[in-house]
Amino acid sequence: MPITKQTIAIIGACGNMGSAIARNIAGGNYRLLLFDQNSKELSVLAEEIRKQISSADVKPMDCAHDCCWEADIIILAVPHDDEKEIADQVRDVATQKIVVSIANPVDEDFRQLTTDPDTSAAEELQQWLPHSRVVKAFNTTFAADFDQPVIDGQQVDAFIAGDDEDAVQSVAELVETTGFHPVIAGDLKVSGTLERMQMLLVQLTIRSSDKQPAGWKVLHN
Amino acid sequence: MFDQLHKSIQEHVSLSEEEWELCKNNFRPKRMLKRQFLLQEGDVCRELTFVEKGALYSHSVDSKGDRNVLRFAFDGWWMADLQSFFTDTPSTLNIEILEDSELLVLDRRNHEKLLKAIPAYERYHRIILQNAYIAAQQRLENALGRTAEEKYSRLLAHNPEFMHRVPLNLVASYLGMSPETLSRVRRQMIQSS
Repeated sequence: MPITKQTIAIIGACGNMGSAIARNIAGGNYRLLLFDQNSKELSVLAEEIRKQISSADVKPMDCAHDCCWEADIIILAVPHDDEKEIADQVRDVATQKIVVSIANPVDEDFRQLTTDPDTSAAEELQQWLPHSRVVKAFNTTFAADFDQPVIDGQQVDAFIAGDDEDAVQSVAELVETTGFHPVIAGDLKVSGTLERMQMLLVQLTIRSSDKQPAGWKVLHN
Repeated sequence: MFDQLHKSIQEHVSLSEEEWELCKNNFRPKRMLKRQFLLQEGDVCRELTFVEKGALYSHSVDSKGDRNVLRFAFDGWWMADLQSFFTDTPSTLNIEILEDSELLVLDRRNHEKLLKAIPAYERYHRIILQNAYIAAQQRLENALGRTAEEKYSRLLAHNPEFMHRVPLNLVASYLGMSPETLSRVRRQMIQSS
């Protein structure tokens, strides 16, 4: 872990996943910049985090571009449909930065992915941000899991995929801060599998609503 | 966002449009605020930083907790702990932001990529390192065997911008004297002029 504080931008910070990630990494050695269209909720979230963790270095921002300009790592906690627009807004300040894709591009019924079969949300984001280091992470965990990343005595796995080794390592440290067990699954091409895994988990959870929370765990001897 | 870097490179070498595009795409634009740290003692310096706009300074902290300023960097200057960068060992320095700054950060891997891909960039980098060596030697020469008056006079001659943009206590630390001594020297020079 670096001694020098890294700055993390969370775009879409007031959503379920965005706020869960923000709350869980606020205790780490990070400066958090939060952006959301809903500025009122954003101020409330920042205040709540400061109350929960007195050492938290957290700041609500009113512009996604400035938020990403100050950041070392950008987490896009928005639906995949909105990622293109945000990518267009922040492209010039996201160059060479780690951009975390958490989106699962599923249809309304959670029956199929909205991306073409030979690609994934993360790979599309990489195309939209060609000079950034896109890493897939936090897409195989439910927002509810962040409260307690241990299910049935097992630390829940959080899978990570990306082409840049250093970027993947930085995201693994971030995942560890949230309390999940980071599992490096492979390069960015693996993202499609990770997105399908979460679609399956959603389907299973819908079918057995009494068995929540749910999460992935690879078991070893 | 890249104006100063473009100017700095073009001052020394000539890049084609394609080379400039490749160069730009390897830098990480980063805005930082006053009092933030770009690097803290104990971390390895893995990046070279170009200052598009703003001011930063590197310093070490001695056993009494006092800051000893090594150097400053302003618009169009480079900043790094080169010892840590080239030897891949933990830095003994801190690099702190003095004014809200717009920086362009180049990590080691991308720097090496540019050195290989663009011969003109390699030449540019060599010139920058030569200049850094000359500046370090001048700094050492200035620190050894000169009176406080001589040190201050040389600073005014070579780096007058320091006095406009840097708090006096940091200038004093940079010159290796106490803030009181610097104030006395300044007063004397104003009176004698």
